Amino acid sequence: MMQTLETDVLVVGGGATGAGCVRDLAMRGIRAVLVEKGDLTHGTTGRYHGLLHSGGRYVTKDPQSATECAHENVVLRRIMPHCLEDTSGFFVITPWDDPDYGDVFVANCRKTGVPVQEIPVAEALRREPALNPRISRVFEVPDAAADSFLATHSNALSAREHGALILTYHSVVDLLREGDRVVGAVVEDLRSGEHRPIRCAFVLNAAGAWAGKIAAMAGVTVTVIPGKGTMVAMNHRMVNTVINRCKLPADGDILVPIRTVAVIGTTDVHVPDPDVYGIEPDEIQFMLDEGEKLVPGFQHYRALRAWAGVRPLYKDQDVASDRDISRTYKLLDHEQRDGVAGLLSIVGGKWTTYRMMAQEAVDEIARKLGNTTPCRTHEELLPVPPTEAPGHQASATPRLMFWMGKPLADVEREHAYGDLICECELVTKARVQAAIDSGAANLDDVRRDVRMGMGPCQGGWCIYRTAALLFEQKQASGLTNANTNAALLHFLQERWKGLTPVLWGDQLRQARLDELIYVGLMGAHRLREHAEQGGGLVTDHPAVATEYVKA
Amino acid sequence: MHYDTIVIGAGLAGLMAALARAERGERVLLLAKGHGTTHWTSGCIDLLDAGDDPLAAIGRLAAEQPEHPYALAGTVALEQGLERLRAACEAAGYPLAGSPGRNVRLPTALGALRPTCLLPATMVAGEARQLADGRPTLIAGFHELRDFFPPLIAANLRDQGLHAEAAYLGLPPVERSHEFGPMIFARLFERTDFRAAIGEQLATLVRRGGYARVGLPAVLGVRRATEVVRDLQARAGALVFEIPTLPTSVPGVRLFQALHDAFLAAGGRVQLGSFVLRGEGAAATLTVIISEAAAREQRHRALRFVLATGGVAGGGLRADHTGVLQETALGLPVRAPGGPSEWFAPRFLDEAGHPIFRAGIAVDDQLRPLDAAGRVAYHNVAVAGSAIAGCDPIREGCLEGVAIATGWKAGLL
Repeated sequence: MMQTLETDVLVVGGGATGAGCVRDLAMRGIRAVLVEKGDLTHGTTGRYHGLLHSGGRYVTKDPQSATECAHENVVLRRIMPHCLEDTSGFFVITPWDDPDYGDVFVANCRKTGVPVQEIPVAEALRREPALNPRISRVFEVPDAAADSFLATHSNALSAREHGALILTYHSVVDLLREGDRVVGAVVEDLRSGEHRPIRCAFVLNAAGAWAGKIAAMAGVTVTVIPGKGTMVAMNHRMVNTVINRCKLPADGDILVPIRTVAVIGTTDVHVPDPDVYGIEPDEIQFMLDEGEKLVPGFQHYRALRAWAGVRPLYKDQDVASDRDISRTYKLLDHEQRDGVAGLLSIVGGKWTTYRMMAQEAVDEIARKLGNTTPCRTHEELLPVPPTEAPGHQASATPRLMFWMGKPLADVEREHAYGDLICECELVTKARVQAAIDSGAANLDDVRRDVRMGMGPCQGGWCIYRTAALLFEQKQASGLTNANTNAALLHFLQERWKGLTPVLWGDQLRQARLDELIYVGLMGAHRLREHAEQGGGLVTDHPAVATEYVKA
Repeated sequence: MHYDTIVIGAGLAGLMAALARAERGERVLLLAKGHGTTHWTSGCIDLLDAGDDPLAAIGRLAAEQPEHPYALAGTVALEQGLERLRAACEAAGYPLAGSPGRNVRLPTALGALRPTCLLPATMVAGEARQLADGRPTLIAGFHELRDFFPPLIAANLRDQGLHAEAAYLGLPPVERSHEFGPMIFARLFERTDFRAAIGEQLATLVRRGGYARVGLPAVLGVRRATEVVRDLQARAGALVFEIPTLPTSVPGVRLFQALHDAFLAAGGRVQLGSFVLRGEGAAATLTVIISEAAAREQRHRALRFVLATGGVAGGGLRADHTGVLQETALGLPVRAPGGPSEWFAPRFLDEAGHPIFRAGIAVDDQLRPLDAAGRVAYHNVAVAGSAIAGCDPIREGCLEGVAIATGWKAGLL
């Protein structure tokens, strides 16, 4: 057992909420440690559609959540412009939707504080010519596209700058209880297998869909319903505006243009365990069919990848269906609720409201600690991680919102065409190297940092290149060729998992080309006996499991 | 213009069939959407990844799997096709080494050792048994080339008991300042001044390290590769061999060019950029195919046709989102292994491969396409290469062998 780490607050979970909490704690001068069993954003944060909600989606069914979204929409635009693309959003009434809902929608937007304006259908079609011309009404709201990977890394970077410690690939094995008080945790370093006790005044459980599992370690029951949402990324931005169906929230009714793709989502299926779920062919077909209603010809675009995230829906009462569970969040003080001191859980909520959730949780902890420093997370600009702009003084350049042409403009400014490791996503060698330097534990981590391997070729070229760069960069610090081979094999499998649900047409052809490259040209499968986890990497552990689970 | 034979598809199978037909004095049109998958492959000729003697293994395979393309083509077509290919490469100044009765192993750009059978002379010095002679090998590349990484290759070779080290070479001054792909390097290597600068660096490294041989990315010239390698060997004072890079694969391009040139010399005609949309015929005879180029349809008549449009990778087979597999040119029935739920193995590198990639067109022993009931769909059509059902050429390590055997056979019928 390693030496005990002492801190004020241990935050469990490296998603948007956990990273937001640890930043807020650190900015108030509270000592904080964050532990995450995988990489930052390894859970739901890295698997959502990338929508900064205006709140419009919830105005009728979940007005409180709508108001929270509307508030945070303004805040996030201020503090993380580099993570957001100002796409705007349309709520459209299609022939399949109740035409009377339009007036209800507008009235409820006004009640909940969600800015809304009806625009003529002709204007909407002029701005988005691929939209179904049979739509009858269009309402514009301030939706935007969000890079949840980048936002979380920016929060983590800010937290570190304020003195917090962030430990990824550290899994909570047990919570330490002394009488009626939680006094810390034992975490396992997945890189080394070593266990380490952490003692703290408070454990803040921000584990999202896994919050129930963490709370159970202290003997406390928190019912989190893992609501699986499946999404499909299409190889085109057939729209540049977020498109929502103007109806009560249902499956397959949001289309988000983000970076070079458009993501359609989602389904909502209750799964028993946030770690065990699959993607069903009929889910994919359903979303293609729904996409067709918004954009005729939708299913003839190339589907790049499907994935699913599990919503952390907090259930404190009986509701008819999981979609009816409120999307608002809840702070649970287990001292009041269960008689167990030293433990708080922040559950439910949405990516859009992560900062507000963090503020409320940290306000409570600060009060208990007697810390009176006010929250500043809504005022202070988030820093830009080095993976975005290596070799630059990121803060010296004026901070603009993300725009679609930005990656290309960066490459052109840098004359970096010859340095592209991932041509699909315009990722340069310098950015890959920065991601490796920032502590990537496998190639999937590099993907989350710089989007390498997320384009049409799904890693055909960049997996080899990135693996080789990883080896060259980390060889001196003990990484072996066998560790590198393990990373390559792990990532090939990781990509395959998201591909199988959408393999037809050009994407099937692409998969076969990737097989030609890695089996035919490279003989990657012949290196299995020369592959092993190590060298600071995590490539063979349940926390980064790559098994495709059939539901 | 009326043709005796129209070959659809410009990969290895189509080129072999077209060459055979043209050399019999026929008027032949090679019609294709673009270059085939040859440009993506190693440029070596894989016959079968099964033991040391692929020819013997093919004999056994044919006996066990009578519907395997090798069984339908027969070993005579394979051996004759291989001979013709060798002669074409020889004539292009790009000889192939090796024998159909023996597999050798060559290093890949990952440093794995993969079996193949015939190999360009430019790769011979990298053969695994030579690498195992105890004398050191240098793997060298360029930081500017992102498709070849010497340190990982050398480390993986060392892990397999071979004595290998790695180095990066400095790029001599050239007109370009960025974007160096394999084809760009291949053209640079055809210049004497470029080779002189590289040769000098290699000579220094060889002198210091006592290397017996140097492995370089397979970008050592397009049309004059053998000469380039010979020249570099003289300058470096060591043997030089090529290792295939990520695509675009220059050795694949060389194979294409050798066969393409032989076909033109035999009087053949090539039309690229034309995608065959459909065919028309009656009484199980195909009379016309209709192609599209620049949104204009064109009709092509011939007495017989060879369909060599490839499998899923080549574009000859295509699945739609409802799980239906189609043959893209003529709409021939496709024999597929079950529905989409059975198409894929859970693991990408599953030993057995993915069932979908064994799909293709069922053919008889004259390589004529069969319909679902097993009747000949067109009497004057032969199918060649990866479009044929019953084999996964990439997993079985027989991609080029099946293309050559069936392509040549389609040219003889």
